[in-house]
Amino acid sequence: MRSGLARSALALLLACVTAVVVVPMLVLLRTSWIEGRGRLAEVITDPDFRSAVANSFGLSAAVTGLAVPVGVAIALALRDPRLPGRNFWRAAVLLPVLVPDFVLAYSWLRAYARAGLTSEAFGFAWPQVQGPVGVTVIVASQAVPLVYLITAVGLSTRAEPTTERAARASGARPLTVLTTVTLPLLGPAIATAAVLIFVLTLGTFAVPQVIGSPAGFRTITTLIYADLALGSDPQSFVEAITLAVLLVVITVIVVAPADRLLGERLSLSRTPARDSDWGTGSHATRIVVPIVLALYLIFTCGLPLLALVSAAFTRAVGIPLSPENWTLDNFLAVLTPRTGQALGRSLLLAVAAGSILLVLGGCTAALSRTRSGRAVSVLVALTLVLPGSVLAIGLLIGYGRWLADTVLIILLAYLAKLWALAHRPISAAVDRLAPAGLQAARASGADLPTALATVVVPLLRPALIAAWGLCFLTALHEVTMSSLLYGPGTETLAVVVLNSADLGRIGVTAALSVLVTVVVVVPGGALWMLGRRSRHG
Amino acid sequence: MADVLQLRDLSLAYATTLALDSVNLTVAEGEVLALLGPSGSGKSTLLNAIAGFLPLRSGEIFLRQRRVATAGSAEPPEKREIALVFQDYGLWPHLTALDTVAYPLRRRGVRRDLARSQAQQLLDRLGVGQLAGRKPAQLSGGEQQRVGLARAMARQAALYLFDEPTAHLDAQVRDVFLAELAARRRELGAAAVYATHDAAEALGLADRVALLVDGRLIQVGTPQEVYAQPVNMAAARLTGPVSLLAGSDVSVLIRPDWAKLGGDRTGIVADVWFRGSHTDYVLDTPDGQLQLRAAGLPAHGRGEAVSWSLDHSWTLPGD
Amino acid sequence: MVWLTALLQLWLLGACGSQIAATTTATPITLYTCVNDTTIQPVIQKFEAGHAGVKVDLFRAPTGQLNARVASDVRSGGLKADVIWACDPLTMQDYVAQGLVGGWTPQTDIPATVCTPDYVGVAVLYMVAVTRTGHQAPATWTDLSRAGKVAVPDPNVAASALGALGYFGPDFYANLKAKGAAQVSTPDDVTTGVAQGIYDAGMTIANSAYAAQKSGSPVTVSWPKPGAVAIYGPIALSKTTKNSGPAQDFVSFVASRDGQALVGSSGSYPTLPGVASPTKPEDTPTVNPDWKALANQKATLLRDYAKIFGG
Repeated sequence: MRSGLARSALALLLACVTAVVVVPMLVLLRTSWIEGRGRLAEVITDPDFRSAVANSFGLSAAVTGLAVPVGVAIALALRDPRLPGRNFWRAAVLLPVLVPDFVLAYSWLRAYARAGLTSEAFGFAWPQVQGPVGVTVIVASQAVPLVYLITAVGLSTRAEPTTERAARASGARPLTVLTTVTLPLLGPAIATAAVLIFVLTLGTFAVPQVIGSPAGFRTITTLIYADLALGSDPQSFVEAITLAVLLVVITVIVVAPADRLLGERLSLSRTPARDSDWGTGSHATRIVVPIVLALYLIFTCGLPLLALVSAAFTRAVGIPLSPENWTLDNFLAVLTPRTGQALGRSLLLAVAAGSILLVLGGCTAALSRTRSGRAVSVLVALTLVLPGSVLAIGLLIGYGRWLADTVLIILLAYLAKLWALAHRPISAAVDRLAPAGLQAARASGADLPTALATVVVPLLRPALIAAWGLCFLTALHEVTMSSLLYGPGTETLAVVVLNSADLGRIGVTAALSVLVTVVVVVPGGALWMLGRRSRHG
Repeated sequence: MADVLQLRDLSLAYATTLALDSVNLTVAEGEVLALLGPSGSGKSTLLNAIAGFLPLRSGEIFLRQRRVATAGSAEPPEKREIALVFQDYGLWPHLTALDTVAYPLRRRGVRRDLARSQAQQLLDRLGVGQLAGRKPAQLSGGEQQRVGLARAMARQAALYLFDEPTAHLDAQVRDVFLAELAARRRELGAAAVYATHDAAEALGLADRVALLVDGRLIQVGTPQEVYAQPVNMAAARLTGPVSLLAGSDVSVLIRPDWAKLGGDRTGIVADVWFRGSHTDYVLDTPDGQLQLRAAGLPAHGRGEAVSWSLDHSWTLPGD
Repeated sequence: MVWLTALLQLWLLGACGSQIAATTTATPITLYTCVNDTTIQPVIQKFEAGHAGVKVDLFRAPTGQLNARVASDVRSGGLKADVIWACDPLTMQDYVAQGLVGGWTPQTDIPATVCTPDYVGVAVLYMVAVTRTGHQAPATWTDLSRAGKVAVPDPNVAASALGALGYFGPDFYANLKAKGAAQVSTPDDVTTGVAQGIYDAGMTIANSAYAAQKSGSPVTVSWPKPGAVAIYGPIALSKTTKNSGPAQDFVSFVASRDGQALVGSSGSYPTLPGVASPTKPEDTPTVNPDWKALANQKATLLRDYAKIFGG
């Protein structure tokens, strides 16, 4: 498809990736090389560094190994059209992504650690939550919705009920069908989700920082944070950048071949599957699955969210949850004009980021079979893993002269960080555009952009919605980069969050995150209901 | 002879719409039953119900005199002695033709190398043995459908279910496929339900024909019966081209080959279609429009007045 | 369509940002600080009210981000701040060593112990002990190891904790670890952890501990002997400021009686004696780490510390 549209899409892609990825990366490499190469050997051979690398990769492997099977299992379980409460479950499994990561660690500790909710209510606590096991489980609980979304998108556009029926008509039991037909065909979607989770976890910071340090579990990201925290001298600063660059280099070595090897591209005939085509499963599974889902959600979402909300409504930390200690003071402290402005700015930025990323991610997915497309795909994985503070530093050094204190530099940071998050759900849905449908549209008088919009986009709608939603939420909750890049007049939510966190007012921070969640869920829920009504009415 | 398949008062619904309404049907051993109906009539639904993919609202299904499905319970598809051949082939993109055909054998517990050699034999018999190492993306439609047939044969089922298997094949490929089918049928002697919307295919292939319209069986009989003695206009239209002429006090049904040129009745030629071995004429007559088939090249042109007569006609019952 | 909306949004956002900068008459002075928001806002407002036409552009972030911002500025055209107000002496010493700030201090009555020729200490943090009600509050720092499950902040991320480490030395912490102490991230995490009941006692900063106590958490605050560890936060003038007049005015204001009174009444401890100040029990001693020595020993100290609490 070497048409004019493809060429301009490629040009756009290359221009953007150069601006938001290549420039900051080169700046960081340059700084690290010029100022830090003398100490490079020292940094690499430091036992702290080596154990941090081991911890980071170990954590990524563990989280991927835990989140991918769970996410795929949930996607397959929710295929059954006769599952009781199916629409509720499909929404409920996405709940974890609504909790911002700046309150995530606290919520879990409050729920499960010593003197936490489970301790108060049932008398037992889960001490391992404050260690590597806890970090793994918490990060995995945030990763499962991503895996679920990408797999569900893959199922809705790639899976073929006929192939499954053919297997059963050939004598295969449902479990055998799963292992011999369904999972192999879902391969590309699962692979892209696994790579995404692995890379995301390498760069994860908030949870290991709060929970890992008590257990002495240091990752590369917490090492970098420590270097920056005491980085008033050039040596620490450059060491932080060097560590980040090393992390990126190691990631490229691991990820680039993985993307090539995993997920053989299979061509499929694209008859969209109807709900009624899927097997209905047995009575037993329809009772067991909702129970298992409920327990899973209570564990990963229910109790931590309860802990968070109770912190928002309680006067102080550590006093019992009885009604006389309930208060709205935390919310009153948060509901100031300044917060309103910051929240408004954050929402606008998140919407802009989501929309632009949809275009960029779509182009990347569409061109993912070309050499340049693959190169872009690897490049954007770099900024995904690059710790936020260091990415922001790269942008500041690269563009600070002209873009310091503007909203644009914050937007560039979001684009750089979240690009990979946008294109992977879309490529999970389709690895190339179906020529027949496009040709039919053009033969009916539509030009290529209209044909794309009317034939391809509707097929991809679940993937596009998933991609936009992920980017929007992550941009909204983003704290590290915005708190470094903002200036007078461009305060985002991040600044308000850090202001309250800096004073140790967990109640106010919790109230903020509840507020943000409400601001997202209420319009989102209304839009979703309207969408359903318009489709049925 | 014992019945391989028996459907008793089968009803099936999708949400609130009734897809199948009180279907009663039997298929004897070695018999091919054609299920003829327009799109949306419920042919695929019926086959999927027999295979076990859809739950029943009411009624019973017996396979080999064993009850396999009722409204409350259903035996899973993998346990029923059925084999399916699909309209869109249903091949697995990630498996070669050989592994695809070996798949049912493996499920029965046959060792891998034995399964593969048996699969190769089946592919050879169907004339696609040399394609064993290819994946579906490298096969044409006809080749894929033959692989699908080989896979069904590997199942060694008591009942074969064909869901419009030639719908996506071109004419020559279709003829090859149907020839293969006929050859295998003599070999295997298994029973089959063959769903199609093509009357010629149904009449040529089947021992008996069942006409399905809007989820109800309107007629079941031999091909000759449903062609020459349809129970109503819908049945008549399903089984071939048909004209309805006004008679003295009833309407009569006429197939194109029941009228011939020359005789005591008159008409004007409205259209002429040369078909190669014969010519189809559409005549405007005082009693209505008539389709007439005559052997040979066109003898009359449009607008000509011609004379014609009837060899045979059929009056619809209940008129 | 998506295109247009995105471009429109970008343009609007860009316009908003630049518009705000355009309304001031004089060049604003840029302040970089890590001092908490509740303290800095009143100070800025009072200063702006008293100096017509001068606006203060604020960049406030935790020390880590502050360092990153300063270092990035240096590598992309020079420090953009006119004034830097840090939260610990080590950070400021490094800035001075790089030639970024210093060279001028205002006339002030602030004690010379917290001043150097390059900067003036204008706020103090005190490391105190916080204990959950029902447990014995430590009277001396050595008592802390007997207080049950203890939490200490991480000197790798909090300069206050590093100051404490510098003062007490690694052996103190080795002793705590031997008795089962845990290391958390920031002093605020210590306070929250003790208030929640995960820990029985811990070392944290006084502001955080008193704030928790005031809001009703079941904690008590004690100032163990030989004294609370004092970490003072210096303010300095940028060497490359183009706005030295108003900038010097701001620094002078913060170091003045009025400025210090504002600092004290907004919840931070001022350095100027005789000014309103948050809770500080009568004749409680304080101790000061040797910041100059600490700067040189930082790496060794952290390495020794890592052997105790590290991974």
